[in-house]
Amino acid sequence: MIFKIAWRNIWRSRTRSIVVILAVMIGIWAVIFMLSFSNGMIESYIDNAIENQISHIQLHNPDFKKDQESQYFIENASGLEDDLRSQVEVESATVRSLATGMLTTSKGQRGVQIRGVQPTSEASVTKLDQKLVEGEYFDPETDNRILVGKSLSEELNLKIRSKVVLAFQSLDGEIIYAAFRVIGMYETDNNAYDESNVFVTQQDLNRLLGKENIGHEAAILLHSLDEIDPVQSRLTESRPDLLVENYAEISPEIELFNTQMQMSSTIIIVIVMLALIFGIINTMLMAVLERYKELGMLMAVGMNKVRVFFMIVLETLMLGLIALPLGMGLGYGTVSYLSKYGLDLSTYSEGMQEFGMSEIVYPTVNSGLYIQLGLAVLITALLGSIYPAFKAIRLRPVEAMRKV
Amino acid sequence: MNIIEATGIEKVYNPNKIAVHALNGVDLTIEQGEFTAIVGPSGSGKTTLLNIIGGLDHPTAGSVKVEGTDISTLNDNQLIDFRKEHIGFVFQAYNLIPVLTAKENVEFVMLLQKRSQQERETRSMELLRAVGLEDQVNKRPSQLSGGQQQRVAVARALAPKPTFVMADEPTANLDSKSTANLLDIMARLNKEENITFLFSTHDQRVIDRARRVVTLVDGRIETDETKF
Ligand SMILES: Nc1ncnc2c1ncn2[C@@H]1O[C@H](COP(=O)(O)OP(=O)(O)OP(=O)(O)O)[C@@H](O)[C@H]1O
Ligand SMILES: [Mg+2]
Repeated sequence: MIFKIAWRNIWRSRTRSIVVILAVMIGIWAVIFMLSFSNGMIESYIDNAIENQISHIQLHNPDFKKDQESQYFIENASGLEDDLRSQVEVESATVRSLATGMLTTSKGQRGVQIRGVQPTSEASVTKLDQKLVEGEYFDPETDNRILVGKSLSEELNLKIRSKVVLAFQSLDGEIIYAAFRVIGMYETDNNAYDESNVFVTQQDLNRLLGKENIGHEAAILLHSLDEIDPVQSRLTESRPDLLVENYAEISPEIELFNTQMQMSSTIIIVIVMLALIFGIINTMLMAVLERYKELGMLMAVGMNKVRVFFMIVLETLMLGLIALPLGMGLGYGTVSYLSKYGLDLSTYSEGMQEFGMSEIVYPTVNSGLYIQLGLAVLITALLGSIYPAFKAIRLRPVEAMRKV
Repeated sequence: MNIIEATGIEKVYNPNKIAVHALNGVDLTIEQGEFTAIVGPSGSGKTTLLNIIGGLDHPTAGSVKVEGTDISTLNDNQLIDFRKEHIGFVFQAYNLIPVLTAKENVEFVMLLQKRSQQERETRSMELLRAVGLEDQVNKRPSQLSGGQQQRVAVARALAPKPTFVMADEPTANLDSKSTANLLDIMARLNKEENITFLFSTHDQRVIDRARRVVTLVDGRIETDETKF
């Protein structure tokens, strides 16, 4: 009967209860929305980084990682590539040559990372061919062609067929100057990347560096994230001469980003719950004060303090439990909708692109959040009910009933 | 048999500020089956005395024994339990839980006593019939008249099979017809079921129905008459 009383008591001040239910509901919805949003951003950032730049696993000459100098190459690049491709988990693999150098045009110069790629396998690993916004992809028939980033081309006023000069050190230490002609411009979600990376064919780069069949970086795309660990440990064993790293090791900022997002989500939950606690305390305190005489009567006729306390807590929990499924339903609906159609942030996305995130965010929620939120709401309701419940049991029946 | 023995009851309100001496040494014994009115001018201490005898308040001095238990030594929690088992209450107003029906209100204390569903069911119906409300069992207090509400309160007070029923001005808010009706019911329950009633009142018509009248003046018993 205590349940019945508590339930009916909630609806005595209908408006007040509905207001607090709405507040909790909106709080829950806001938390789900914000967290799914940041979750979606993290995922898009990671996916972007993996699919467009770093892949799942990379192999380098261990010295290259330290110095980034072309002399630390991997021998027999084609052999390595064949070897990698033969692994069942591998979806695609490519080996590239890298050089740090200077790109010079009549307008000025820029320090760039020169990426010597094999057109076909590079396309299958990083979809470079699909990122072209102007011009064409490499054509095997012609030498000394270069792809530059769209943003770099704008800065240096480059057009298709513009001529640029690349300057970099060859393997025997001489500075090489080589003329390339722009055949295409690409664009990724990451402006900073586009400004500092140019693509030539591996064949051209190796010839200029002065050695056939070398590479600096092997990149592997696997069928799924779960395969990273086994493949990584297998490769570490079979190629002790190379450094085998997964995406998180290559790009530690991803992990950092991830934990930071996680932390700010926790803070958001705590802030929202704190705000709700005060709303709940206020509502329940009013409910208790309003019923002072009645509570006095209940205690007079033999309802003990534990029961009175429990009744107030129960009323508060019920408010929370009504709000919980509503808020979750609303949140779930919003997220389902947005994860399908995406949230277009192109109006605000100037800054985001700098950091390698796409313009359209697809919010996602891991189901653990719902459990976490359920607990958070219960705890909030409990905390919010304690003070009013104490207030209720501290009353003395004689005094409560004397007040008119 | 004496079911209530109050000796040397004193009550001082606000002992630290301006002290109000509400009771100045009251001795009162009540026997099983009495139908007693506490009367006296306003401020004479009727409510204070009933609250102390009913275990709602502690006396400043003196002791109250109900069926041999000295309730003036019990702490708040023990008092709540004692009241639940031994004392039925009818107040001037705010007797009922507004969100429960008449029947649920009567069942409520039995529920606190952990009586079985079956017992609650039969006893609440029986009591509501005894107070003439068998047609109103599923109405909430707001749907009942003041007199009907007080009758439900009497039924509720009797539900736990208390040692006695205390009623502080139970008819103060009622018209004369409802007053007479409530008194009829109380008198009948007293006579037929031998239930002990101790009530306070200002109303001469209620005083006339009492078999014993204890008059308080300035916190002292001035007269104590029993009619035959
Ligand atoms: N909680 C309290 N604090 C201070 N004084 C009180 C308190 N309760 C009662 N009094 C005082 O004690 C005296 C007795 O009050 P009590 O309520 O017992 O009188 P009463 O006979 O019931 O009066 P009434 O007929 O008006 O109900 C009065 O002077 C009253 O003002
Ligand atoms: Mg009084």
